[in-house]
Amino acid sequence: MADPFNGPPVELINVEKRFGSLTVLNNVSLQIPPGQTTAIIGPSGTGKSVLLKHIVGLIAPDAGEVRVFGTDMGRASEAERYRVRKRLGMLFQDGALFDSMPVGENIEFPLLQHRRDMTAAQRRDRVAEVLQMVELPGIEQRAVASLSGGQRKRVGLARAIVHSPEMVLFDEPNSGLDPMTSDAIDQLIGHLKQTLGITFIVITHDIVSTVQIADRVAMLYQGKLVAWGTVQEVVRSENEVVRRFFARNVQVEGEGWRLPGV
Amino acid sequence: MTTPLLQPGLNLLARLGAFGIFSGQLIWRTFTPPWNIREVSRQILRVSLRCTGPVLSTTFPFGMVITLQGLQIFDLFGAQRMLPSLITTAVVREISPLLASVLIAAQGGSSYAAELGAMRIKEELDATEVMAVDGLRWHVLPRVLALIVACPALQILGATAGIAGGYVMAVWLQGEPSGTFIANLWNFTSPLDLAAGVVKTTVFGGLIGLIACYHGFYATGGAAGVGRAVNDTVVHSVLTVFVCNYLLSSMFI
Amino acid sequence: MITLIRAIGQFGLFFGSLVGAMLRYGVPLRRITEESYRIGIQSLPVLLTINIFIGSILTIQGYISFGPLGARHLIGMFVALAGVREAAPLLAATMIAAKAGTEMASQIAVMNTREQIDALEVMAVNPYAFLVGPRLLGILLVMPALTTLAILTTVASGWAVATFQLGLDGQQFLALVAQTVTGRDLLISECKALGFGTLICLVSTWCGFRAPRGPEGVGQATNAAVVISSILCVSLNFLITQVFYG
Repeated sequence: MADPFNGPPVELINVEKRFGSLTVLNNVSLQIPPGQTTAIIGPSGTGKSVLLKHIVGLIAPDAGEVRVFGTDMGRASEAERYRVRKRLGMLFQDGALFDSMPVGENIEFPLLQHRRDMTAAQRRDRVAEVLQMVELPGIEQRAVASLSGGQRKRVGLARAIVHSPEMVLFDEPNSGLDPMTSDAIDQLIGHLKQTLGITFIVITHDIVSTVQIADRVAMLYQGKLVAWGTVQEVVRSENEVVRRFFARNVQVEGEGWRLPGV
Repeated sequence: MTTPLLQPGLNLLARLGAFGIFSGQLIWRTFTPPWNIREVSRQILRVSLRCTGPVLSTTFPFGMVITLQGLQIFDLFGAQRMLPSLITTAVVREISPLLASVLIAAQGGSSYAAELGAMRIKEELDATEVMAVDGLRWHVLPRVLALIVACPALQILGATAGIAGGYVMAVWLQGEPSGTFIANLWNFTSPLDLAAGVVKTTVFGGLIGLIACYHGFYATGGAAGVGRAVNDTVVHSVLTVFVCNYLLSSMFI
Repeated sequence: MITLIRAIGQFGLFFGSLVGAMLRYGVPLRRITEESYRIGIQSLPVLLTINIFIGSILTIQGYISFGPLGARHLIGMFVALAGVREAAPLLAATMIAAKAGTEMASQIAVMNTREQIDALEVMAVNPYAFLVGPRLLGILLVMPALTTLAILTTVASGWAVATFQLGLDGQQFLALVAQTVTGRDLLISECKALGFGTLICLVSTWCGFRAPRGPEGVGQATNAAVVISSILCVSLNFLITQVFYG
């Protein structure tokens, strides 16, 4: 295990990214606090997913630095990037589970690749344990194709946490789910946040789930960071775009705010 | 009640039946108005342009290879002057129809399956039907007809390239006299051979078109389904081409 | 033209990073045997069918072509030279490209569409070493065996057509084949097979990786895989023939 890292797990310094003539990220700077849940929100097509891909090192910035556990992901060698990635987990939008393997093997995959010290029995126990944590115990033998959208996300989440990462990233955990399943996923994330106590970064455009699970909120709009602070601070923001974004779901009342109907 | 052994056979029969119905519907539409002449000619142009490169770049080297191997046989008999006529026979009758059809299946057929499959998965074909437009007539039939026209044309092109490859190998690389090569080129080749090649490839073109469009039109299962449709198209149409080729060639003995 | 040069450059880069990744991360043995079993079993039926027809068509054409020479009994030699040296290995490779190559391309393109390649990267697993390595070594493992079977089938079906359809002397046919084909011929055919296998696997997986996401991308990748690998196999076949028999 690498040494515990005490600074911010993710630090963005003046990050810029262009695709052709389109500026997707425009001078974004951000320090994600450790042990908390940060939601990165914004309307569709404002560079949220691109930001996430920068953090895991799938995309390198045109300018600026993306430091994850102190490593500059844009300039690190492949070996260094892999060392960082072993310390984080990621839930993809549709789970990104391998269709060729049953659920159990999918979850076991990171352990099989990186934890040579674990015996087969230990790995099996760990898989059962994380499946329990995502409230889908005993489905190791199920085929991926037979899972529903919500189950896919849960299994993907189990795979993201199986190797006890120090940080988990969520790419649109609520997308494509009905409101009930979506709520259940939010509750699961909230529950894991308490039991694991590690850093979560959640990309979402779902306001209800943001205010329910996040400690801090960063809002991107047209490639720029337009709001950054606690949920309390951001919903009361003076910024016109931020207000419009929250207005449909959040009512600000005096010193506080509430979700209508919640 | 079916035994497990019988089931694959029945499935195959059912699929052949579905393919037969599909083909029948298309044949019916071929002979009933309205016709889409513009779309057919557009597809002919498209598929010919797409396939010319692959057909030429395989028939030419293969003509060279056949010539090289042939020279070795004829050296044994001291009958090198027979070579050009045999190359012409082999290229015109078998090699160019087969090789051209295989490449047309790989390039033209599989691109049909990919296009129609993607349209099916993205519900564009359903949208066509909902707009009361006949998808078979509008999207499928022009593609099949285009291959029926393009396949023989590409075969003639391929045959020319194959013979040219033979010439390059024999005359330029192996130093056979050019005059003898040209003079003996058409000794054994009759117009019947040319006709046989064209007849064959017309049939192959139609079969490839039908198989490709069938797999594409009925693709299921998301993006992976498109891949499967393309895969099935290539394998099934190449197999069909070879089986038909054997049957047709046997008729000409 | 510029796109072609750029594509060749990208293919070179792909090949370089593949070799680097395979050396650095190794290739799991279990997955190699899995892949070779799959490629072999998948391709075998189509391959045998095609080669049955190659054998018969060569024999029929030999019969027609050697007629004017009065050398009908020599078709065994023709089948041996054209079939064993050229047609059987090449068309076997084309079928493997059509069956196994297209499947590699479509699998990888689908994985890319569903973010599974990204997931591998994020889990710190090199996609080239994990996905291409086993397929490459797997196809190299089965190509010689598949080609041997293809050659045997071609000769057998040539013999059957000569004996039963054309009424020739089957014994003489086989004797001529055995007499004409040398160990060197077989060795060259096997070398060709290894070359074809490498080309098919590299081209198909490369097409899969560079495919745009979505159903069209999968279709395009699969289509490109079979066309490019067929063309390259025919060209490679010419080069090898020219070098060894020219």
